[in-house]
Amino acid sequence: MVNPIYIFILALGAGFLLTLFDKAGRKVSLTIFYAVLAAMVAISAQWLIALLGGSETAMIFTAGFKPPFSINLQMGLEEAIFTLAVNMLGLLSGLYLIKKFNATKVNAMVLFLMMIMGINGLIMTRDMFNLFVFMEITSIATFAMIGIDRDIKTLSAGFKYMIASGIASVLFLIGTIYLYRFSGMLHIDSMAVALDMASSQATLLAVFILLMAIVIELKPFPANGWALDVYEAVDSGVVAVIAAGSSAGMLFALYKITPLLNETLLLTVAGIGITTFVASNLMGLMQKNAKRLLGYSSIGQIGLVAGVFAMLVYLGYPINGKMVMLIAGGLFINHFVAKAGLFWLAGILNKENTEDWGALRKKPIYLFAFGAFILALVGLPPFPSFFAKWQMVMIFAKDNQFLVIAFILLGTLLEAVYLFRWLGKILESEVKEKIKVSFAQGLPVIVATLAVLGLGIYSATIVPGAGSLNIFYLPLLLIAALFVLDFLPVWVKNTLVILLMGFYTWQLLPGLEGYRFLFGVIFLVGGVILLIPGYAFKGKRVGFYPFAVMMYTGLAGLLIAENTLQFFTAWELMTLGSYFLIIRGKKAKPHALSYMLFSLGGAYAMLSGLGLFFSVNGNNLDLALLSSITESTSIIYILLVIGFLTKLASMGLHIWLPGAHGEAETDVSPMVSAILLKAGMFGLVVVMSAIQNPMIGNVSINYVLSWLGAITVFGGNLMAIYQEDAKRLLAYSSVGNLGYVLFGLTLMTHLGWLTSITYALNHFLFKALLFLAIGGVVWRVKTKNMYEMGGLIKRMPISFISVLIGIIALSGVPPLSGFAGKWLTYNVLIEKGWVLQGVVLIIGGLIAFLYCFRLIHTIFLGQLKDNHRKVKEAPLPILIPQVIFMFAIMFFSAYPNMVLRPVGDFLIKYFPQGAINWQNGVAFTAFGHWDGLGVLMITGVVFMAVFGWLLLTNRKTQKVGQFNIVYAAERPSRPELTHVGYNFFAHYRKALGVLSKPYAEKFWDGLSELFHSTADFIRKLYTGNGQTYLVHIIVFILVVYAFAMGG
Amino acid sequence: MTLITILGLVLIMIGLWGMLTQKNIIKIIIGFSIMDTGVHLIMVSIGYLKDRTAPIIDSAVDQANAVNTVVDPIPSALVLTAIVIGLAVTALMLSYAIKLYEKKGTLDINEFKELKW
Amino acid sequence: MGFEPIKILYAVISLFIIFNVGMLLNGITRKIGARVGRRHGIRFYQPYIDLVKNYALRSNISHGIMFYLGPVFRLTGGIGVYLFIPVIYGSQYFSNFSFAGDMVLVLYFIFFGTLGMALGAGESGHPYSALGIGRGLAQVTAAEIPLVIAFLGIAVQYQSLSITEIVGMQQGGIMNWTMVTNPLITVVAIIAFLGSMMRSPFDVVLAPQEIPIGPPTEFHSTFLGVLQTNRAIFPMAKTVLFVNLFFGGATNWGILILKAFILYMVSVVVGTVFPRFRVDQSIRWFYKYALILGVIALIATTFMFK
Repeated sequence: MVNPIYIFILALGAGFLLTLFDKAGRKVSLTIFYAVLAAMVAISAQWLIALLGGSETAMIFTAGFKPPFSINLQMGLEEAIFTLAVNMLGLLSGLYLIKKFNATKVNAMVLFLMMIMGINGLIMTRDMFNLFVFMEITSIATFAMIGIDRDIKTLSAGFKYMIASGIASVLFLIGTIYLYRFSGMLHIDSMAVALDMASSQATLLAVFILLMAIVIELKPFPANGWALDVYEAVDSGVVAVIAAGSSAGMLFALYKITPLLNETLLLTVAGIGITTFVASNLMGLMQKNAKRLLGYSSIGQIGLVAGVFAMLVYLGYPINGKMVMLIAGGLFINHFVAKAGLFWLAGILNKENTEDWGALRKKPIYLFAFGAFILALVGLPPFPSFFAKWQMVMIFAKDNQFLVIAFILLGTLLEAVYLFRWLGKILESEVKEKIKVSFAQGLPVIVATLAVLGLGIYSATIVPGAGSLNIFYLPLLLIAALFVLDFLPVWVKNTLVILLMGFYTWQLLPGLEGYRFLFGVIFLVGGVILLIPGYAFKGKRVGFYPFAVMMYTGLAGLLIAENTLQFFTAWELMTLGSYFLIIRGKKAKPHALSYMLFSLGGAYAMLSGLGLFFSVNGNNLDLALLSSITESTSIIYILLVIGFLTKLASMGLHIWLPGAHGEAETDVSPMVSAILLKAGMFGLVVVMSAIQNPMIGNVSINYVLSWLGAITVFGGNLMAIYQEDAKRLLAYSSVGNLGYVLFGLTLMTHLGWLTSITYALNHFLFKALLFLAIGGVVWRVKTKNMYEMGGLIKRMPISFISVLIGIIALSGVPPLSGFAGKWLTYNVLIEKGWVLQGVVLIIGGLIAFLYCFRLIHTIFLGQLKDNHRKVKEAPLPILIPQVIFMFAIMFFSAYPNMVLRPVGDFLIKYFPQGAINWQNGVAFTAFGHWDGLGVLMITGVVFMAVFGWLLLTNRKTQKVGQFNIVYAAERPSRPELTHVGYNFFAHYRKALGVLSKPYAEKFWDGLSELFHSTADFIRKLYTGNGQTYLVHIIVFILVVYAFAMGG
Repeated sequence: MTLITILGLVLIMIGLWGMLTQKNIIKIIIGFSIMDTGVHLIMVSIGYLKDRTAPIIDSAVDQANAVNTVVDPIPSALVLTAIVIGLAVTALMLSYAIKLYEKKGTLDINEFKELKW
Repeated sequence: MGFEPIKILYAVISLFIIFNVGMLLNGITRKIGARVGRRHGIRFYQPYIDLVKNYALRSNISHGIMFYLGPVFRLTGGIGVYLFIPVIYGSQYFSNFSFAGDMVLVLYFIFFGTLGMALGAGESGHPYSALGIGRGLAQVTAAEIPLVIAFLGIAVQYQSLSITEIVGMQQGGIMNWTMVTNPLITVVAIIAFLGSMMRSPFDVVLAPQEIPIGPPTEFHSTFLGVLQTNRAIFPMAKTVLFVNLFFGGATNWGILILKAFILYMVSVVVGTVFPRFRVDQSIRWFYKYALILGVIALIATTFMFK
């Protein structure tokens, strides 16, 4: 085994000799430089392997004495991990900078080696003063490295950095010397033993000063302006080392002095860290400069790691125990890899403005890398931070640290705002220029991508409850395979995915019971059917199939999830997959963003709820225990329900839906509308079947939710009638329809749930049908504005029939299946007696007629436009699923008992009372009756009779041209003149006045504006003046002192 | 608290005062230097024990009884290192000052605000 | 309750009776309207003449398949609504096809014809048709507010959705009629009735002065004949429904026709007296006064009958 001291010996030796070797040529010195970096990696790696294999922690003594009388280094598991990470970073960043090293003097290489070596020292040394020395070595090397760039921005940033760092080192020295004075030692571990903190205020002060030195180096808010400047100005390769490597070293220093900290100081660090996390992510909202934005994110992430770490120690988790490793370690390594990768990418692109990063689109690999880093930073599966965050919430909830959870999730959400906004900008931008990526610059990014994925998978195997995550292995493998196979033409991939998903469905579905089977049909059978339109697409459709499969993986995962970890992972996979599907739409970017943010916000509410659940049920993840919890039931219920309501797009949380569903691609709209929305319902079913009738005081939560459901129906449908865009109209209609679903569930009766499920099934069928039909029309006429269409019945008759069947089912007019829902609604209203909600709900339902008519009239009836005289019927792959759905609707209409009876049978398990009494296909309740087949047949017979009568009495009917109408004895010159379509229900808007105003949008816009303007206000702190930054540092220390020591 | 410690503290305050109030980068660096010196003084004062000699084992010090006759050698050793490091930092700062002056023709720290917010 | 083939025959007879009642009432109504306006007016059997004339017309043009089917939908809707209502209480044979569904079915089947007609008129491509439909649908949804409230109200009151049962519970004298037991809901129902009868002040849909007869603008000859047939049946179907739900129903044809006539006349009288609302005015009226009154009535009903 190579002694770790060789890391230093090699680095120092090479540092001294490189100048000499350089005389033999740059190639020689470069070879040695990389050899040394590689050797450093090798040494750490070898130690890591050995330590994982069970070797003991190695202590390296110097000068022949044992500590505390000598400086010693330590190589334990943590050190091995950190040094390996840092040395890898060094090697890769070194590679990344090869052009620079070739171009500048040999000094650059020396300084770079010193930087890496200094960080290694920071990690390994156990001596306080030695820690100072390595800190200074790192800093000085960094300053000098920064100084190589002769750019004015870089230089002034470097100078500010030096001032801040100078203060930190002064503090460090004072702290150290007094600790030495009080303990008589410099060896950190012995010092902690020797010091008796409680007894002496002076000791505490010394520790405080020392701590402040390290905290300043960790860039706390607001004493971190200098760091932002450095991140913005310094060369990407170097700044990757500063942001990831130096921070790693300083975090490790914090880790080492932790034994010296008492509870107050631990809490102080936790407070500083989490405040920094929230504040810097808030300020990041306003940032446009890419590297400065990454700086804000870095500062935030470091604050998070430090804060969470201190919090965990405060809560009594062993400092080198599994939880600290999993949570703080996971968060750290996640940030480390992702941020290094992002800074490298920043250098490759060399674009200051985040909005100019579109060139990435020409490089799918790097786009993928960028996406992976962003997702990792936000904490989505399968990345390490996801599992770290999950475990963190569980742990903190167990210890009742809900405020901490709330702040951290808030910060994460803020970070998600700007990161996903950035991602969206890239995906929507028009690419003009191409970028060239050299091997040396590309390789580090690719390694980082693989590393962050690999670490994520590793985290998934060590998080408590990891065993249960095996359900995702195969699908994730398929997703990975699809990413690799993305070069294949679309029909090959489509066939492949249909076959595999069909097979999976075939395997899975028979094993599901009760409502899970029902949702299985919607999610998976529906999913397979909705993949058929994919054949209409040409080319490769890059990036569609992996994410489609990811969404379906999440959906399937929900069905089979048995514990909360599986459930939440599935939920996030579904969200992630669907986000990338939605964002494919041409104008979908801002809407995909708001979809993602609402989803994340909802997911975080859910996560908090699951954490609370974890804490009250004896730290068990088992989802089945949800029904047996006795404490905090209502709060858990509310948190989980909020999570699901964001997916269900209930009024107030719905504003993402119209855009996201309306702007998505032809086959994505039905997927996310007909299928994905039901995931929210599935969640509600899971929670509501477990927790019955929770109360807050005297108020039943379900009663409140029933009002929300009713208002959602009204609001959603009302907004739908004002839309000019056909797909948005359908999207708003979904909002309304899911209001029924929510309302039905909140009734908590047999009929109520049956109503809800009936609506859900119907919505699944007719919304898939409508979105496909309208999607097909839009496919051909290239516009979504209804008033630009008209008379298309002549050109697209099958689509017309689809829409006709769809709107009849939607509006609930008998004889089609939609009526089942209406009929059940009346029954449950009478049964439950919630008639006031019922009035709102039913009126909302009647408003649906308005948009149904508008949809079919403005598009298919009226006057055909000149530019549409030659449009063809929608492509066959889009028509086939429509036919399937039409048959399904007709079947449901004719034999409602075949569908509703089995549903009723399993509902009896939850609600034994009040089931429907079926007699020969006729449904009887305590109040009324309905014969689906009978109505269909009577209607059919009467219709045929009347039709026959008309044919009989009619003479020869003459078909006339389009403009042959009674028009003041004139012929209209243009179809536009007589096609009434635009602002069709203006009178309704006028009549309803205030009711028609979009309050929800205003509220969220206002909230967003508030956050942004606050961010803009706060970030004005960073004036750019080095002296101001110094004042920040001093004031920061004084304030912290007042908080931590004063009280 | 010895007089030297107090002196060190005073120096630190003076240095800090200079760094906070002076606009000229050179003066700021001088402020830093003064502060650094103050820290060094404090460090030395910690190791100082009254009526003892320098911690150099030579003829003047009885080897067997050295522990009781010399001052604590560690702070002195530390101070030496710290001085060296301080020197390096100061030198670097000064070279930065030169470069900054070359670029902008001024040493007023208020002029270097390209990066902000 | 179930289906027997003989019922078809009785249904046809019942339909024939109600068609003729409707035709006559249409004629009488116009006569009354004319007399109020100091005109002589038509002969009361004029609608029959019009109908025969329209069916006999030879010229016949069509704008397309939906145009052709529109009147069919319309009449199917009218007949369907009627057929789902049990007409004569206690009569095995004049209960029509009410075994197929209850009053919710009737309520929603009303839209079958409306929607079909809207589609047919839409295909004609005439702007006035589209305008008329836009107004019509908008007003219908608003006018449904009191209707829905009234339906919910009596469903709460009688704890039933079955029209037969509701009529059954009103038997035994005028004191058992909903009109007496729950006057508030009945008032709301009358408002809804007025709103759905296409007469002033809620007749902007067909507004002859602004948009020559609205949706049916392009329909003529046989198509118009079918629509006129519907215009005899459909309002009568609605009237019979209200008679059943609020005015004790009827045990024989005589009583039914009498009650229907009186109720029908309410809309005629109101329509003759009041001027027309603009469509946004009528929507607002329903959303304001009808809704407030309805909610009060509904709350009162809930308290009274629970």
